[in-house]
Amino acid sequence: MKKFRIYFVLLFLVSILVGCTETNILDRVGLTTLVGYDVGTEERISTTAVVREINPEFQSNVEVITTENETSKGNRLKANRRLSKKITIGQMRVVLFGEEVAKGDLHFYIDSLLENPSVSNGLYLAVVEGDTSELLQHEYKNIDDIGQHIYRLMEQNIKNEHMISSTLHEIAHDYYMKGKDIAMPIIKREEEFVELTGVALFNGGKMVSALPVEDSFYLKIMRDSFKAGIFETILPKEDIPPALMKDTITEMPVAFDAIRSKRTLKLVDPATPEFDVQLKIKARLLEVHPNINTGDPKVIEGLESAVSKNLSKELTRIVAQSQSVQSDIFGFGDTYRSSVRNSELTKEKWHEMYKNMKINVKVKFEILRDGVFE
Amino acid sequence: MKFKLPFKKKQQQQPYKEMNAVKEKVELIAPSENDFTQLIKDTTNNPADLVIKSIPPNLTLIYINNLVNDQTLNEHIITNLQNNFFETPEAIWPILSIPEVNISSQLEETIASLLNGSVLIYVNGYSQVVLAPIPKRESRSLSTPENESQVIGAQVGFNESLSTNISLIRRYIISPNLCNEELKVGKRTHTSLSLLYMNGIASDQMVNTLRQRIQDVDVDSLLDSAVLLEMIDDNTLSPFPQMLLTERPDRFCDGLLNGKLGIIVEGSSLAIVCPIAFVEFFESREDQNLRWQVATFARLLRFTAIFLSVFLTPIYVGALTFHYEVIPQALLVPLSESRALVPFPPVFEALLLELIIELLREAGARLPTKIGQTIGIVGGIVIGTAAVQAGITSNILLIFVALSALASFTTPSYTMGNVIRLIRFPIILIAGFWGFYGIMLAFCFILIHLLRQSSLGAPYLSPYYPPRLKDMRDSIIKFPLPFVAKRASLTRPADQEKFDPEPVKPEKS
Amino acid sequence: MKSSIQFSPKDMINASLVFFVVHSAQIGVGIHGFQRVVYQDAEKDAWISVLIAGLATHIVALCMIKTLEIYGTNDLYGIHQEVYGKWIGNFFNVIYILYCGIAFFSVLRNYIEVIQTWIFPGLATWFLSATLIIIIIYAFSGGLRVIVGVSFFSIMLALWIIPMLLFPLKYAYTEALYPMLEEDISAILKGAKSMAFTIIGFEIIQIIYPFVKDKENVKKNVHFSLLFTTVIYLIVMLVSLTYYSEGKLEKTIWATLTLFSFISFPFMERFEFVAICFWMLIILPNLCLYLWAAYRGAQRVIKISGTKFVWIFSLVVFIATMFIQSRTQINMINTQFGNIAFYIIFVYPIILLFIVMLKKKFTSKKEQSDEKV
Repeated sequence: MKKFRIYFVLLFLVSILVGCTETNILDRVGLTTLVGYDVGTEERISTTAVVREINPEFQSNVEVITTENETSKGNRLKANRRLSKKITIGQMRVVLFGEEVAKGDLHFYIDSLLENPSVSNGLYLAVVEGDTSELLQHEYKNIDDIGQHIYRLMEQNIKNEHMISSTLHEIAHDYYMKGKDIAMPIIKREEEFVELTGVALFNGGKMVSALPVEDSFYLKIMRDSFKAGIFETILPKEDIPPALMKDTITEMPVAFDAIRSKRTLKLVDPATPEFDVQLKIKARLLEVHPNINTGDPKVIEGLESAVSKNLSKELTRIVAQSQSVQSDIFGFGDTYRSSVRNSELTKEKWHEMYKNMKINVKVKFEILRDGVFE
Repeated sequence: MKFKLPFKKKQQQQPYKEMNAVKEKVELIAPSENDFTQLIKDTTNNPADLVIKSIPPNLTLIYINNLVNDQTLNEHIITNLQNNFFETPEAIWPILSIPEVNISSQLEETIASLLNGSVLIYVNGYSQVVLAPIPKRESRSLSTPENESQVIGAQVGFNESLSTNISLIRRYIISPNLCNEELKVGKRTHTSLSLLYMNGIASDQMVNTLRQRIQDVDVDSLLDSAVLLEMIDDNTLSPFPQMLLTERPDRFCDGLLNGKLGIIVEGSSLAIVCPIAFVEFFESREDQNLRWQVATFARLLRFTAIFLSVFLTPIYVGALTFHYEVIPQALLVPLSESRALVPFPPVFEALLLELIIELLREAGARLPTKIGQTIGIVGGIVIGTAAVQAGITSNILLIFVALSALASFTTPSYTMGNVIRLIRFPIILIAGFWGFYGIMLAFCFILIHLLRQSSLGAPYLSPYYPPRLKDMRDSIIKFPLPFVAKRASLTRPADQEKFDPEPVKPEKS
Repeated sequence: MKSSIQFSPKDMINASLVFFVVHSAQIGVGIHGFQRVVYQDAEKDAWISVLIAGLATHIVALCMIKTLEIYGTNDLYGIHQEVYGKWIGNFFNVIYILYCGIAFFSVLRNYIEVIQTWIFPGLATWFLSATLIIIIIYAFSGGLRVIVGVSFFSIMLALWIIPMLLFPLKYAYTEALYPMLEEDISAILKGAKSMAFTIIGFEIIQIIYPFVKDKENVKKNVHFSLLFTTVIYLIVMLVSLTYYSEGKLEKTIWATLTLFSFISFPFMERFEFVAICFWMLIILPNLCLYLWAAYRGAQRVIKISGTKFVWIFSLVVFIATMFIQSRTQINMINTQFGNIAFYIIFVYPIILLFIVMLKKKFTSKKEQSDEKV
């Protein structure tokens, strides 16, 4: 028995001594926070990485490195040769695709990101108008760390529901779904700022169209249930009920916040296919033309119906645009799949059907309250 | 697969007894005065403080000057003896105005008595001697328990005198069922110790086991109860103590009343309480004095502290060495920038800092209290601030290490607190080698180790394993009083009921 | 009965602990990625497969306990010897020991594979298996009480992982489950069969039964435990089905772990890194129990001491882990082992019960006729 113990201890000690493994000490690795992919020369991948390095001077500096190679891993090797610290991708937060790459096919990129266990499922994906290297290499006056800045920018907008969410998980989820297509935010450099400018629509892995950023609210309430956020619209003359019409107004801007929406999709005719879209929206009135008396229930009611009308018009417009490019970013196809037995749906099949889809949008808009001053 | 106790010497006891028997036959008291005094001188190696005083016509007093109470000797023995004549030792007996007088004819007993502070009164020509025990009881006055202080509760601790300690306990528990067995350990020191338990509550089987274990201990000397504890523990090799050392009489009595057994050793201010479960080391006697909500909060706080103390630094080391992925973005910059100047890998940095903290603690413990405070300043300001500014450690780690050191001191039992601090070092090392995998490996190892331990045969992880739902009511979470009316089954108590769970004011409930 | 076992009360365990033993033996490495395997057969009705597999465990457990009750205080090895005689019985026993060995190996190798893929690509296989085996030997040498204790704590200390499944629900689409029952019944049953590798482990009651103090409560605890396991698998399956889209689930190897990837706290991100390491505590009882079960069998077949057995066993497994290196080999072993386990765990006990009952009837008739004579 005593002998047994001794072996035991010996074995353990030997294991400790031999079993050292590769370390990734935080301050000795270069943390890639952002990667951008562009199409390089001769079918190669051009990668721009934003790498954060820690210097002994208590100052972290950010390196932006662009390399070209056949694979993205090859690019990592190449970048490694230019840096004093080992490049790691475990803290990657954002992956950007140049417009050209997005118009090609993202399938390869999505798969290779999913495959790597050190890549988080929570990183954000976005499309860049133009080249990513151009966006990242620019020396911004007010932006210290471009990688972190873009991450914060996207996080802030997504958390506040100003922009559709595009985490790797959601993109991969939608990509591998038969009845849905992916959509990603578009970002662009605007002089000394980086700005979200729109939403890219994809057909499979290919970017086919883009919606302006103003439409992202409609996109969001059409895609899913919705909370928080701000929404402003301009009610054109024909939507405004006569009761509200004061002599000179031709257009009426209104703004709402604290919005809660609930979307219900119902397949009414599988053959066409035809969907009933019902939207229930509750919101707080934030800004309205001063001539309107918000204390009057009749006026509120009129305003509600005006907004409802306006919303359904806008929604139909957006869906029509997505139909024209065969990009079902709203997930109608999944509702179709879940309501039709043995549909044997495939992505191609659904894209064909999607072109001819009909929708009936019904919006029920409700103003819950206004501010502290009537 | 356990190591045998290195102190089990049951086989050797037999010859020892035989030797005694031989001695008894030979060493009788000589009937002549000169022979007797010579004999005493020989056996005690004629110490300088041995006093041999003749009282004419035929009495001889023999005592050790430093052991007897001078006042009693003068007033109650010498005064009474001087003006009288005694024919036989029996005649002396009624004259002496002290509570206990013995007569012995055996040298062994006489010498033992002499060394315990007796005055030998020898009547010339008799082979018997009168033993008058008047020992000088010198002990420190009772003071507050330094190592186990508490805010609400009694402020008295044990001191080094066995009789004072027992009298303290007897004042807490006034009951004829409080059993006190005296045992002696140590071939040379003959240290007396008392085994205390409540008859009718404590399990007989456990009392027998413990008594047997103490009797089996065969050592030269016994100077402190902590040494005895290590000898009679279930597993001597484990760093975790399996019996509690306490200097609080109230904690000791609380144990006795819950069916535990207690040992008090002469010359030691720490009493042993056993059997005890692992979680009980983290319970303070004060928790019983507090309302259950507050007590539960205090205990949860303590357990969180222990967890932090053991695992916080290793997790830091593991995360920074291997798993940089788990660090949230907001922490990334401060963490890495604080380490920017540090030239060592995290594991080395952490070990260095932990070592400094341990050094400060050790130095503080060795030094007198007044200088000890200086150590705190040296440690806190000089080393802490300077180390960060010199770039040897990062200030975030400094916070972690200080926090875990602080947390380890919340353990009410000092011996357990030591273990908590000790096991951190291998875990930090292992985390530096294999990150979270290593930490988990260490965690599993500790868990299995604790599962294998027992305290006087009772499961160490009780009441969690084996699960005893009723006992869990007063462990990490303390339930309101009506729920804790039963004694924990850890001690296998003969009587389970502690009190009537019915409320005292039934009209209210 | 000559081969029944007598123990001192110190070795015995309470029936309530059987709950923990069975549950901890069932949950192990299978839960990491069973979704994909079942999904390949039963698609979005995979959760029905899980339910069916859960139901099957109840039925089989019922048969197992019935068989054990007939023999009172005996384990499977003893029953084999009683039913088939010494030689054939021992042959069956050896098969069962081998089964336990392969199960042990499979759990160990799969866990190592996860660690190597996810956390330490550079850490050697032999090192990981050596450290794990050492821990297991330490637990095993403490005896049954310690092993059961490990089971107990592995469940109690891992309970906090269940609420973590609430995080992915943020991205759950319940529509993914509709239309229900689209797949035909054979596909769903096939999916249930694929669950075998994941849901086995409850066969340990056949070995631990004689050690239980109050045997009348065993049945209740075992079924309760199986129910608990099924509920957990069902929850995980439902969360996975709604969290992943159809194509993504098919491609995700360890769906449960990827599920955790999204979880983040203010002080920690990438929860799966912690979960994978923490999983050691969850597979520990798996390994200990299989090792112990194999030891009980080996003790019956040849007289062998615990120390000797555990060293031989560990050495064999240790060497085996070094030979099986690639993912394809591991997957092959998982599939093959799943198939074997299906027959040994789900089919054989029913046959055994049948044989035992026949034999009982036969012998009692014989006794009656003997009495008449």
